[in-house]
Amino acid sequence: MIHRHDKLSIFIHWFNAFCWIALLLTGLGLIKNEQLNPLGAWWPNLMRSLFGGGENLMVVHQYLGLIWAGVFVLYVLLRPKETWLFLKEVFSVSPSRDMTWFMKMNLKMTLGKKGLKRFGMTPDMPPQGFYNFGQKLFAQATVLGGIAIVITGVIMFLSPLMLNNPDLAAWSRTIHYLVVGLVTAGMLVHIYMAAISKEEKPAFQSMFTGTVPEHYAKHHHPLWYEEVAGGEKKVEG
Amino acid sequence: MKKYAMVVDSSVCIDCKGCMVSCKVQNNVPRGYWRNWIKQTTPDFSLGKLTRTHFQPGGCMQCDVPTCVQACPSGATFKDQETGIVHVNESLCIGCGKCVRACPYGARFRHPEKRVPDKCDFCFSAGRLAQGIPPACVDTCPTKARVFGDLNDPDSEVSRLLRDNHTVRVTSANIDTQPNIFYLAATEPANWPGDVEFPQSFSVMASLVNPLVKVAVGLSALGVAGMWAKQAFAPDSEDDEQGPEASHPEPTVSKQD
Ligand code: SF4
Ligand code: SF4
Repeated sequence: MIHRHDKLSIFIHWFNAFCWIALLLTGLGLIKNEQLNPLGAWWPNLMRSLFGGGENLMVVHQYLGLIWAGVFVLYVLLRPKETWLFLKEVFSVSPSRDMTWFMKMNLKMTLGKKGLKRFGMTPDMPPQGFYNFGQKLFAQATVLGGIAIVITGVIMFLSPLMLNNPDLAAWSRTIHYLVVGLVTAGMLVHIYMAAISKEEKPAFQSMFTGTVPEHYAKHHHPLWYEEVAGGEKKVEG
Repeated sequence: MKKYAMVVDSSVCIDCKGCMVSCKVQNNVPRGYWRNWIKQTTPDFSLGKLTRTHFQPGGCMQCDVPTCVQACPSGATFKDQETGIVHVNESLCIGCGKCVRACPYGARFRHPEKRVPDKCDFCFSAGRLAQGIPPACVDTCPTKARVFGDLNDPDSEVSRLLRDNHTVRVTSANIDTQPNIFYLAATEPANWPGDVEFPQSFSVMASLVNPLVKVAVGLSALGVAGMWAKQAFAPDSEDDEQGPEASHPEPTVSKQD
């Protein structure tokens, strides 16, 4: 087995997942308007009665959001080096390799290897590093989206407390909703790939154990495997 | 269930502004702002002795089609079905001001300290209605130009006035907000409500962002469902990767770019 995630990364991942889902569900409950209700009026009504009123729902959403953002700020401050390496990894995209990977992956997931062959392509993928391009894309979306969500959220939070600019709060609301929606669309794919598709089972398990089997690393993240295993094999437990 | 309303006999209004003052005192309305008003016609002095000015008392119309409620994204501005009063729930409000602009009557203002909208609620939050006392403006009016009551009670004075008189509603040009302040016979000036104007941030959210988000999430869900179906019903036989020696060729590690 090869070491992939340390305990803190695993904690941050699940903390993030929990906060995201909870914030999404409470946030959807805060949109209450005939023209906007994304799920229909029953959802805000249900959430409001569960939380004993929209006021409580709002408080829970706001403070959970602040805690969520606060933990990330703390992480960045305490681990600037790890943060930097993560961002570098996630935002460095190799056009030829990653685009090919992305196209082939989509074909393979939907049409299968036979489908790939039909388009005259071989089933093997361009080699990927610590993250494959799909993971990178989603990570980029969550980083950039997260920043936009936190900024617009803080603006709305502060708006009645100290800001004197209604338009700022109004547009924040619109952007907040848009960005959350787009990241949610990506999140569906992320959850599917990790928890449901067979291919990535080991990656899912590594989010609990921190390690992945060698053959998985070799096959799915060969560039990274080269890096860590290089000449001497790093074998743990 | 009640439906509070006001019937205004503007012909007897003498512009003493007692209603405006008592409302300010009762509801702690900050300096420079008003929850209710007296509008007046411009006198035509060429008429000599016949020169007259018409005064028209008003306030939030507690509309049945409240455009302020339509514009509020959070339900912070809402129409209470128990009383028919349109309220602002300050702890749900993010101070985006959409409701302020969507009211064609200019009945809302942004409270300078609370930074949330403020408007007439028939003195509900002041506790007068719970004690069975009419709103401060109605109580104060020396000529009884403002009459307040429950439209759902056939014996109330507002119901009686509406039954026995021809009344006028003042509505905006583009949307009939169906106001619940009724004017007996004449109302002048009548053309003061502006158009209902939904701020751009709201229309973008309602007509662009909302459908866009739904389509994006829907497509993504469809895609995932498709992949799941493929995995469940037509899996690639070679995809079995349980053993360390899966049938994959050793990947090439050479950089391709
Ligand atoms: S008068 Fe204005 S604030 Fe009052 S209910 Fe109608 S739209 Fe809303
Ligand atoms: S300012 Fe008006 S529209 Fe905006 S949240 Fe508050 S009550 Fe709703």
